[in-house]
Amino acid sequence: MATTKTPSRLVLNGLLNENPIFRLALSMCPAVGISTTVMNGLMLGTAVLFVQVCSSCTIAAIKNYIHPRIRIPTYTLTIATWVTVIDLVLSAYAPEAYKAMGIFIKLIVAFAIITMRLEVFACKNTVAMSFWDGLGMGLGFMFGMVTLGFIRELLGMGTLLGHNVLGFRPLLFFALPLAGFFCVGFMMAIFNYVELVFNRRKKRRG
Amino acid sequence: MREILRITIGLTVSCLIAALVMGAVFTITDKAKKHNEYMNVQQTMLGLLGYSKSHPAPSELKFETIYRYIVAEGQTRYLGYLVPVKKNGKENYAFLLLDLEGKLKKLYSVDMRPEAAIEASEREKALHEILKPPRKFNYADSFIIAVLGRQRVAYLIPGEFPGFKTFVRVMLALDPSFTIKGLEIMEQEEDPGLGGEIVQEYFKNQFVDKPFKKIASLKVIKKPLPSEYRKYLERKKWKKGMFTREQIEEIRKKYRSADIYALTGATISSRAVTNGVKNMVKKFAYREKMLERVIAEENIQAAF
Repeated sequence: MATTKTPSRLVLNGLLNENPIFRLALSMCPAVGISTTVMNGLMLGTAVLFVQVCSSCTIAAIKNYIHPRIRIPTYTLTIATWVTVIDLVLSAYAPEAYKAMGIFIKLIVAFAIITMRLEVFACKNTVAMSFWDGLGMGLGFMFGMVTLGFIRELLGMGTLLGHNVLGFRPLLFFALPLAGFFCVGFMMAIFNYVELVFNRRKKRRG
Repeated sequence: MREILRITIGLTVSCLIAALVMGAVFTITDKAKKHNEYMNVQQTMLGLLGYSKSHPAPSELKFETIYRYIVAEGQTRYLGYLVPVKKNGKENYAFLLLDLEGKLKKLYSVDMRPEAAIEASEREKALHEILKPPRKFNYADSFIIAVLGRQRVAYLIPGEFPGFKTFVRVMLALDPSFTIKGLEIMEQEEDPGLGGEIVQEYFKNQFVDKPFKKIASLKVIKKPLPSEYRKYLERKKWKKGMFTREQIEEIRKKYRSADIYALTGATISSRAVTNGVKNMVKKFAYREKMLERVIAEENIQAAF
C-alpha cells in the first residue's frame, strides 16, 4: 500500500501498483467474460467506477456505526443499493446509455474488487481518502478492461470500437473467453517486468 | 445475547435505510421511466410501419387506441370496447357493451379527452360512472389502429405469450387485410445466443408478409435458413445495390408462403413465438370483425 496518501498517489496506486485486474487479480470473471470489445470494457469500467466511488464514500462515512460482525453484509447491502439507484436513475434519465450498459450494471453487485476495497481501505480511512482510492481503483479497472478489450477486439475480430480496422480476423481465438486468461496473463507479465526494471533503476540510482 | 440483539438491530436498520433510499429513488424516477417506455412504444410503432428518422412519419398519421374490457354482471360476462369516436367534430369515446355472441347490448357515450384516455386510472374513473356496481369490469387488452388521413394503414397489437423461459412481450403490425407487416420483440428473457436470437432480424422478419390464410397453418420447420433469404431478412445490413427491385420481389414471393425456419438450438423458443403470433392474429381478426360489424350496424361515427 502507498506510504504517503496524497490524492494523486491514491489514484496512481489504483491504476498501476494495485491495478485490480493485473496486480490484484480480482474480479477476473467479468474481466475475462466481458472484455471482448473496447466498448464493453469501457461500459463495465464506467459502471464499476461509479459504484466503487459511491460505495467507498458511503462506507467511509458510516464506518463508525457498523458492527464489526456484520460488516460484509453491510458492504453488500451498500453496493446493492448503489447499483439499484444507478440502474433506476440511468433507465429514467439516460435511456440510450441504459440500453448499452443495463446488463453490466446489474452484474456489479457481486464484484470482489468493490467489497475488497471497502474492507481494506474505506472502513479505515476518511471520506475524501476513500473517494480518491475508489476513483483510482475504478479507473484502474476501467483501464484494465479497455486494454483487454483493445487486444481482444483487434486480434479477435479485426475491429476497434466497431469500426473495421484490419479488414480481416487475425485470430478468432481471441474473441473466446479462454483467450481472456491469456491476455490477462500477458498483461500481468508486462506489469511485472516494468516493475522489475523500475526497481532495478531505482536501486542503481540510490 | 446483547451481542445478538445489537447485530439484529444493526442489520435491520441498515436494511431499512437501504429500502428507504431505493424506494425514494424509485418514486422519483418512476415517472420519467414510464415516459421513456411510452416513447419507446411510440418509436416501435412507427418503426413497424416503416418510418424512421431518415423517413419520418407524415403529420396526418394518427394512432387510435381501442381498449377491451371484460364486464361481469353476476354470472354473465360481457365484452366492453372503449372506442374513440367523432362527435360534432370533437374526439370523444363510446363504450360498446356486447354479449359473448357479439350482439350489442347497450351503447354508452363516454366524455373523456384522448389525452386523458392514455392513463388507465382516468379510463377506470370514466367507466365507473357508466358501469355502476354490482357490475364489475376488468381491463383485458388494447389494440391500435393507425390512420393516415381517412385511410386505415395498419393495426398494431401489443401482446404477450409464454416463451421458453418466461413471457415474451411483442408488438405485431397487421395491414387491413390481416397480413403481417412487422413483428417487434419488446421484452424477452430467453437464453442469450440461443432463444435470445428471436430478436434478430433473420428470425422476426420471417413473419413479415405472411398472408392471413397462411398464418392459420404456420409451422416451424427444422431446416437451415437459405442464405439468400437470410440476406434478404437482415434489412439493417443491406447495402446499396445488393438487391435489385426485381430480386426483392422475387424472394418475397418465393418465401411468402414458406413456414418459419427454426433457430438453431432454440426450436422451443421458435415454436413459442410462432404459435404466439398465430394466436394473436387469429383472436385479433375475430374480435376486429365483430367490432367492425357492430360499428357498421349501429352507425357509430368511429374516429378510424
